[in-house]
Amino acid sequence: MKFFDNLPAMDLMRSEKMTFVQLIIPFESAHRAISYLGELGLLQFRDLNDDKSPFQRTFVNQVKRCGEMSRKLRFFKDQINKAGLLPTTRPTLQPNIDLEELEIQLSEHESELIEMNTNGEKLRQAYNELLEFKMVLQKAGGFLVSAQSHTVAQDRELEETVYLNNHHIERTSLLEQEMQPGPSNQAGLRFISGIICKSKILRFERMLFRATRGNMFFNQAPAEEYVTDPVLAEKVEKTVFVVFFSGEQARTKILKICDAFGANCYPVPEDITTQRQITREVLSRLSELEATLDAGIHHRNKALTSILSHLKKWTVMVRKEKAVYDTLNMLNFDVTKKCLVGEGWCPIFAKHQIQEVLRRATIDSNSQVGIIFHIMDAVESPPTYFKTNKFTHAFQEIVDAYGVARYQEANPSVYTVITYPFLFAVMFGDWGHGICLLLGALILIARERRLGSQKLGSFMELAVGGRYVVLLMALFSIYCGLIYNEFFSVPFRMFGETAYKCRDPSCSDARTTGLIKYRDTYPFGVDPSWRGSRSELPFLNSLKMKMSILFGVAQMNLGILLSYFNARFFRSSLDIRYQFVPQMIFFNSLFGYLALLIVIKWCTGSQADLYHVMIYMFLSPTDDLGDNQLLWAQRPLQILLLLLAVIAVPWMLFPKPLILRKIHLERFQGRTYGLLGTSEMDLDVEPDSARQRHEEFNFSEVLVHQMIHAIEFVLGAVSNTASYLRLWALSLAHSELSTVFYEKVLLLAWGFDNILIRLAGLAVFAFATAFILLMMETLSAFLHALRLHWVEFMNKFYYADGYKFRPFSFSSLADEDD
Amino acid sequence: MGFLITTLIFIVTGVIASLLVRICCNRGPSGNLFHLTLVITATVCCWMMWAIVYLAQMKPLIVPILSEGE
Repeated sequence: MKFFDNLPAMDLMRSEKMTFVQLIIPFESAHRAISYLGELGLLQFRDLNDDKSPFQRTFVNQVKRCGEMSRKLRFFKDQINKAGLLPTTRPTLQPNIDLEELEIQLSEHESELIEMNTNGEKLRQAYNELLEFKMVLQKAGGFLVSAQSHTVAQDRELEETVYLNNHHIERTSLLEQEMQPGPSNQAGLRFISGIICKSKILRFERMLFRATRGNMFFNQAPAEEYVTDPVLAEKVEKTVFVVFFSGEQARTKILKICDAFGANCYPVPEDITTQRQITREVLSRLSELEATLDAGIHHRNKALTSILSHLKKWTVMVRKEKAVYDTLNMLNFDVTKKCLVGEGWCPIFAKHQIQEVLRRATIDSNSQVGIIFHIMDAVESPPTYFKTNKFTHAFQEIVDAYGVARYQEANPSVYTVITYPFLFAVMFGDWGHGICLLLGALILIARERRLGSQKLGSFMELAVGGRYVVLLMALFSIYCGLIYNEFFSVPFRMFGETAYKCRDPSCSDARTTGLIKYRDTYPFGVDPSWRGSRSELPFLNSLKMKMSILFGVAQMNLGILLSYFNARFFRSSLDIRYQFVPQMIFFNSLFGYLALLIVIKWCTGSQADLYHVMIYMFLSPTDDLGDNQLLWAQRPLQILLLLLAVIAVPWMLFPKPLILRKIHLERFQGRTYGLLGTSEMDLDVEPDSARQRHEEFNFSEVLVHQMIHAIEFVLGAVSNTASYLRLWALSLAHSELSTVFYEKVLLLAWGFDNILIRLAGLAVFAFATAFILLMMETLSAFLHALRLHWVEFMNKFYYADGYKFRPFSFSSLADEDD
Repeated sequence: MGFLITTLIFIVTGVIASLLVRICCNRGPSGNLFHLTLVITATVCCWMMWAIVYLAQMKPLIVPILSEGE
């Protein structure tokens, strides 16, 4: 045991030592100190103003300003995305600007952009209106021209080209009037021309007909192109219409109806020269507007590009400032002494770094008074901090997903780094699939820098985050695949000759009694002769089930051993004597013994039935074993082990609570008088920080807790050991799926001579392997290996009731907000 | 016989692997101990896997019975 004491502390095994610190910062260096601490990222602040609402805090105005600035930045980002601009070359380097200057710049840019947008809107609306006017001129002009000829007016609704009687229009020139042949209808026939959405035209026409009691003539023609409606700003199909009517009342009615239906009316002159003139004017105005609009867009894009080059820097700056002010809000503001008091946790190894940073902040802010930084005691338990690198980070995340370790208890991820990919591989074992996984993992690792900076979907993010896990899983899969001798379910004879041959040269009874083992065992892995034989499954099932039990017993023993090391570290001899020892005895006298029997049966080749042995060890331990005898003196040994197991159960149940009760009574015997006098003893404690003391001891609670723990262990010993049989189940499923795809898809397709069928078979085999075996089986084995770790391994020693160390750090901000 | 020799090979591989890891990535005593733990765990897992499969085939109770058409 001394040997373990003399070893240095292992890297990831227990949490870094943390200490509770108090900072007293003078006001002028506060902002700088907090920003430097944010860059260092090793101090977790405690919120001393928990009970205050966000509006009661000291720096609420600054936070609001930062919020306003980030809103403006989001607006810019939105506009840039809408304009479809992409970041150009390297962003220009600019000297660092102050927060106030940035605020002013941002509001300037914002007002400029909003103005440009409104102007652009107005111009666009005018442009669309003119476009409609042009269309109306074209089509309505056509009507009016064609109305020169004689015809009887008919009230047919849906006709496109109808010829009119002559008509009088008020705005006609004298030339026009002379050109009108034929009898005129009535005097004062006027028209209104306009454009309306195609979907509304039928109702519009009907409404007009009813309103004017049939005294109108309606003509329409669809506009050829889609028009952007000036009001709705979207492209719709429109129809140009002309309504001929007479009388002033009809006119007002028609105008009102046009208004109601959202039809835009444009005046079209009657005679053709004016039409042409106006058309020319409209066209020239349109081209002017186009030019103006383009210039406007160009100007705006220029402004946006200049913003874009600084946008990322500004966003980061604003985010940092907001974080600094949020943190400053957590500190206690002491007005009389003009300083801020903060409390927090930091790792002990970071103490010097923090002091250095604070010294620098004092110097940089030209403050007369230094920042006071001193260590305090805390009642509550510290946060847990593991220093991980990119390799161990994923495994630590896997363990943390179950629960964060209690401060300084043993960290299961030390062993999980290896056992997790290994148990995955036991369930996945196929070195062909392992090679595919390896390629995937290597690609992810080769591109880790590029993928790290991109934004990925949640599934890809998991895959990239777990690339080292996948790498180890692939390597172990290749190893296990070599042992199971499966390459896409095909066995190879790589490690020498098979150990089996026919009994006689004619191989007459190879299909009835089978082969015979004539040489030494196949040196590495499963003998290739087994594949395809009729007794393959009984052999492999027996092998894999026993293998699962052996691995289960080994891993659970490791778990119980870790609980011993925990108890040793926390110097709790109670735990060692009354928890570790009985647990070890109980577990190994039953399941350790089973593992031993398995190994002995294999080594001696005995025909003993292990189920029978184990069951009758409980049912009738004094019976004669007969054929099932594996060891010398097995019967007395089994009786002894059974007795040990039976003693171990009350051993792990009763002594610990009773002794705890005794200790508690002893401790408080002398204190019963002291309690009255020491009710004032909390005065010297800092009023700012909250402290709690637990002095109650509830015996029934402790006893029930211990009972639950003991029952969980005892029953769990059986169920957890059986749970490891999933290693067998999943590896069987994988192997069978693989065999099915190989034999029934690939070999079947290859049997045909046709190249097309072969290719089709190959494609189906590739798809099935990729999706079912590589993706689904990977996820399945991943999940089950995870469960084995979380439940069967960790419930032997892991309390997991700690909380994680979350320092105030600018680098974690970038991950959070995105 | 083959069992012991191959077990020895596994032990030697484990020792070589830990030496290599110590040479390549020497990160101070706590880091080294961690790497050593990883290497030992991996060696033990791999050896166990091999040993189980080997022992199971040493004195088999059933033999391969060929199926039709082989």
